Amino acid sequence: MIECPTCKHHEFVGTLFCSECGTRLVLATQVPTMGISRDKLSEEAKATRPSAPHSPDLSTGALLGLRVVTSGELLSLVGRDNYTLGRSIEGQAVVPDVDLDKYEAYDAGISRMHAELRIAEDGVYVVDLDSSNGTIVNGKRITAQEPEPINHGDILQLGRLRLQVIAQSRA
Amino acid sequence: MPSEKDYYTLLGVPRNATPEQLRRAYREAAQRLHPDKNVAPGETELFLEVGQAYETLIDPESRAAYDVELAEQESELSAESPFHVNILHSRSELLRIDEPQVHYTLIELRPRKNLPEVRPSVNLSIVIDRSTSMRGARMDQVRSAVLAILKDLQPNDSASVVAFDDRADVIVSHDQAHDIGTARARLSLLQAGGGTEIAQGLTLGLDEMHRSFAKDGVNHLVLLTDGRTYGDEELCLELANQAATAGISINGVGIGSEWSDRLLDDLAGLTGGNVIFLNSPKSVTDLLNRIYDSLSQIIATQLRIDGGFSQQVDLRTAFRLVPEPMPLGDSLPMAIGNLPRDGYIRLLLELVVHPLLGLDELTLANLTLSGTLLASTAETKQLPLPISIKLTDELDGKPPPEQISQALNLLSLYKLQEKARHEAELGQVAQAARRLENLATQLLAAGEKELAKSALNEAVQLTQAKRFSTEGEKTLKYGTRALLLVPPQGDS
Repeated sequence: MIECPTCKHHEFVGTLFCSECGTRLVLATQVPTMGISRDKLSEEAKATRPSAPHSPDLSTGALLGLRVVTSGELLSLVGRDNYTLGRSIEGQAVVPDVDLDKYEAYDAGISRMHAELRIAEDGVYVVDLDSSNGTIVNGKRITAQEPEPINHGDILQLGRLRLQVIAQSRA
Repeated sequence: MPSEKDYYTLLGVPRNATPEQLRRAYREAAQRLHPDKNVAPGETELFLEVGQAYETLIDPESRAAYDVELAEQESELSAESPFHVNILHSRSELLRIDEPQVHYTLIELRPRKNLPEVRPSVNLSIVIDRSTSMRGARMDQVRSAVLAILKDLQPNDSASVVAFDDRADVIVSHDQAHDIGTARARLSLLQAGGGTEIAQGLTLGLDEMHRSFAKDGVNHLVLLTDGRTYGDEELCLELANQAATAGISINGVGIGSEWSDRLLDDLAGLTGGNVIFLNSPKSVTDLLNRIYDSLSQIIATQLRIDGGFSQQVDLRTAFRLVPEPMPLGDSLPMAIGNLPRDGYIRLLLELVVHPLLGLDELTLANLTLSGTLLASTAETKQLPLPISIKLTDELDGKPPPEQISQALNLLSLYKLQEKARHEAELGQVAQAARRLENLATQLLAAGEKELAKSALNEAVQLTQAKRFSTEGEKTLKYGTRALLLVPPQGDS
C-alpha cells in the first residue's frame, strides 16, 4: 500500500490519484522524496496541471490557491484579500490564516508569522514578515516587508517548504 | 472451433496458465455446468466444450499444437481486421510484490484507413416524456426539434416518434415519418399531461424500431425525459439489456433538474450509449441534429468487448473517454458504442492485480473486440485483444503516458464529485462539503472557473440544506464528466 501524503488515505501500489482527495500520487509511489531535482518537480507540476490553465481574474475576493509541491495538495484560499502564512502552536494568540503546521512547518523552518499574501487590484503579492529563515520566490530571496509580485506557477519557498501559486498571471 | 471463444477464454485462464490453474478452472466449470444439475439450454454443450478445452490444454503436446493453431488464427483475424487498436499502460511493468496493485490500461480503437465510404442507413426512434412537467416551453421545443429531424430525414433512413406518460403511444410511426404533412399533424397532437413511466415509452419505442430495423445500419433510440420514473426501473434496465442484445444503442437526454440521472446513465451505459444534461430545452434542436448527424458518420456499430480477465486481475472500473465520456460498469461483455469514421474510441480500464510472485509476464486479459462494420456489406468482425505485461522487482520510474495521467487527473475530479454525493446521501454532510471545496480548488487549478463556482455553491447548499440541489448534482456530474471530452494537447 502507499499512503497519500495529503490525506493519509491508503491506496494500492500503482494508483495515480488518491481516491479520497484527488492528489496525484506519482511522487509517493517513487520511493525517494529526498533529492528530487528541480527539473523533475517542474515536469511533475506540468503533468499534474491539465492543459493551459485559465485561472480566475484576480479581483478582490477572487479565488487563489497554493499547491504544496512535495505532496501536490492544494490549499484553497477563498473569500479574503490577504492571507498570513505560518505555523500555529498551542496557546498562540494570533493564528495565521494558512496554518502550515501539518507540513512539518517547524522542521522546515517556518516562522509563526512567516509571510503574507496580498491580493491587490494589479495582482498578487507576497510579503516576508521578517521570518527567521526568509522567503524565496523562484529561487530568489526577497527582502523582508517589501511586497514582491507573484504569478501563477511561481514557486514560493518558506524556509524549506515549497508552495506553488495557483492563480492567473496579470498578463 | 465450435465456440467463438478460444479454449483459454472459455476456461477463464491466462494464456500462460499452469496445469494447476487449468485443473482448478475445469473443476469449477464442471461443478457449475454438470448435466446432472443444470437445466438451462445450451449448458450441456458448453460443458462438453469446456471438457474438450481442458483435455486439449492439459496435455503439453496437444496444447503446443493448439497454441500454434490459435496464433495463426489470431494473426489472420488481426491482419483482416478493419479496426486498428493501440494499447497503452500506466506503467510498462508491474511490480512482483506480495500485495495488490492498481494498473491502468488505455485502449484506443480506430477504423483502418481506406475503408469504403458508405453512409449507413439510420433507424432512429425518439421517445418523448409527455408528463405534466413537460407542458409549455419544453414540449414546444421538443416538438419543433423532432419536426426538424423528420424534415431532414434521408430517404434511406427511418424514424419514429413515441410519447409516454403512464402509458405510451406511437405519435409518428416509421411509415409516417417520411410524409412530413402527416408527421406535422400527428406531432401537433402531442400534448403533455400525466405521469412518467419510462418503461412504457421504451417498450413501444423499441417495438417500433424492430419494425424498421436497419440490419446494415445504425439503430438508435433517443429518450427525452424531465422526470423520475417510479417502480419500473428494473423493467427499464431489462429493456436496455434487450436493446443491447438486439444492437440498439440508447441516448438519454435529461431536461431540467428533476430526472433520474442514475437510471439514465445505467440505461445508456448498458447499450454503449450516452447521457446528455440539458439545463434548458432551448438547445434540444441542436442536440437532436447533432445526434442524427453523428449517427450517419458511423463506420462500425454494436461494438463490444468480451472475453475475460486473468484470475489474478479484477476490473475495478471502465470508462469511455472518447467519443462521449461515459462510465461503462465493471463487467464483461461491455457495450462500448459506435465508432465514427473519422474518429476513435478511447477506453480507460482500472485494474486491480492481485499479488504476483514468481512470474515474468502476466496476461492481464484476453479480450475480444467485436462489432458490425458498415462498409459495403455489413459484417460482424472480431479482433482478439490480448493484453499482457512484464513483471519486475524494481520500477524504471518512467512517468505514465500523458494521455493516461491527464485522463486520470480529470477522472479523479469526476470521482470526487461522485464520492461527495454518495457521502451526502449517507448523511455525512460535513465531509461531503469539504470534499466539494477540495474539488473546487482542483477545478480552479484546471481552469474550470464556472464548475468550481458550482462546487462551492453546492458545498454551501449542503451545509444549509443537508443535501445536494437537484440541479447542482447534475451540473457537477455532467460538468466534470464533460471535462474528459477536451482532447489532450498534441493529440492527433
